[in-house]
Amino acid sequence: MSAAMTLNPMLGLLAAAVGALVDYADEMLFGVLFLLAVGAAVSLVTQRNPLYCAISLVFVFLSLAGLYLLLAAPFIAAVQVIVYAGAIMVLVVFVIMLLNVEDEERRPLRLRYLIPTAITLAAVLFAEVAFILYFVHDAGPERANAAAPANTGLTANIGAGLFTTYLLPFEITSVLILMAIVGAITLARRASVLRPTDVVVPGAQVLPRHALAGAEQGDASAVITHTTAEAESALGLTNAPHRRERD
Amino acid sequence: MDWNNPYIYALGKFVAINVTFIVVLMIVAYVVLAERRVLGFIQGRLGPNRVGYGGVLQPFADLLKFIFKEEITPDKSTRFVYFLAPIIAITAALMSMIVYPFGPDVALPFIGRVRLTIAQFDVALLYVLAITSVGVYGVALAGWSSNSKYALLGGLRAAAQLISYELSLGLGLVGVVLMSGSLDLYQIVEQQSGWGGMRWNIIYQPLGFVVYLISAIAETNRVPFDLPEAETELVAGFHTEYSALKFALFFMAEYVNMLTVSVLATTLFLGGWNGPGVAQFPLLGVAYFLAKVFFFLFLYIWIRGTLPRFRFDQLMNFGWKFLLPAAILNIVLTATVYYFWMGGAGSR
Repeated sequence: MSAAMTLNPMLGLLAAAVGALVDYADEMLFGVLFLLAVGAAVSLVTQRNPLYCAISLVFVFLSLAGLYLLLAAPFIAAVQVIVYAGAIMVLVVFVIMLLNVEDEERRPLRLRYLIPTAITLAAVLFAEVAFILYFVHDAGPERANAAAPANTGLTANIGAGLFTTYLLPFEITSVLILMAIVGAITLARRASVLRPTDVVVPGAQVLPRHALAGAEQGDASAVITHTTAEAESALGLTNAPHRRERD
Repeated sequence: MDWNNPYIYALGKFVAINVTFIVVLMIVAYVVLAERRVLGFIQGRLGPNRVGYGGVLQPFADLLKFIFKEEITPDKSTRFVYFLAPIIAITAALMSMIVYPFGPDVALPFIGRVRLTIAQFDVALLYVLAITSVGVYGVALAGWSSNSKYALLGGLRAAAQLISYELSLGLGLVGVVLMSGSLDLYQIVEQQSGWGGMRWNIIYQPLGFVVYLISAIAETNRVPFDLPEAETELVAGFHTEYSALKFALFFMAEYVNMLTVSVLATTLFLGGWNGPGVAQFPLLGVAYFLAKVFFFLFLYIWIRGTLPRFRFDQLMNFGWKFLLPAAILNIVLTATVYYFWMGGAGSR
């Protein structure tokens, strides 16, 4: 490297920069990921456009995955990206796109009373972090590192742990997720008491009374029905076959 | 060379990554040309054959044209996201390239003995799945930010399709992982070196292979699953409003993704670099590897030339009601057989 320095100072400077990059790769990566995570988190809570919030959250998840990698937990990092960034947030973005939320004018901030609550909760969180840092620091580097041997984050060890030591929490979690799925389906089903073939008409369908009963000629007082099915049954057309929109 | 020196190590990896990206992009350029020529052959016409001998310079002519075309940004588009989307697409496509084992350990002149894998680590397969799952954002955000109804519909379709088929793709691979007992691609390839390099996973996992192949075609938005860019109904889908180099980035990303799934199929099911004679001549392994990858790429082009497009409800029904149960069946079968008759998982 010294030969390069005498030959060309620029080249030497470049070599020194690359050397620093290699020597302090961990620290630099941590700094970059930390700044990205915090910046994206701030952007997440300050953006007003829901899609920008979603993108910021994706960046938070990606930088967290990078931090997990630095902590020698590649499996957790990969799962973080696959599950959160790759599946859940894609669905969130999908829903935002489907609703196509427009950039509205800035509305006044509602829920103003939540601001002091948020500050209090943030203070508690910081206190917790400081507490943990203090005690880990107190315990000394030997004990802090002894808790996490280098191969804890490997896939085989995580799998063995999940299906032996932590089997009960694992199974309870899966039951919890199953409950969420069943609940979502139940809620989606309960919203529709109508048959799938019913056509809901916004407002109502108004029929004159003489159309319903032939005996009452000239009576044009209104009879209101809310769906085509109701109107059909009132008109005595319940047996009319519906064209099914299906293959 | 002393690979334990951290500076030489970092420099070597840096060079290797860049060489890999350049080679991948060159392969992509020529796959585009090959696609146009093969499609021409299938349809009884010539295809581009004027630029250079037989059209070998056509990719570069196309690239020059892409560079000099006008960059159009639609009015009322969400500008930042509009620029971000193609970058996400191409980055996600290229990043998965660094974990594949391209060949066995070979002795190269001046460099010494090297392993033809840039990054070998414990969860390489999960890394590939994670990176490709992030690629959905490129397509979805492109459709959203263009402020065009065709682009939005195309983006929505693409997102729905990618989410649906990602499941079957991942579950189709679980059988191989169960057999190998590892997510490390290098180890998975090495385990297939038995029987003179012919003991490929496809022999044990035919159902998993079929499920993977079909979902891979859907994941890359290729015919017959190219609903996101069905030109008869959606103009060009999510990239309708993109022009010049930004369009070229989407175009490249699509072909790099094609290459990715072909390489993954080769690695996991067709034995990677394994084949007769690799033990004596390691460089032959690279040739086998490339030949298998090109076979899959040709298969893609062939399918595009022969099959019509699905309808969207057929696509969803097929993915959720046939492909996903088939993948789950494969997992149950593999787990049962290996647990009761073959001595447990990872006993391959």
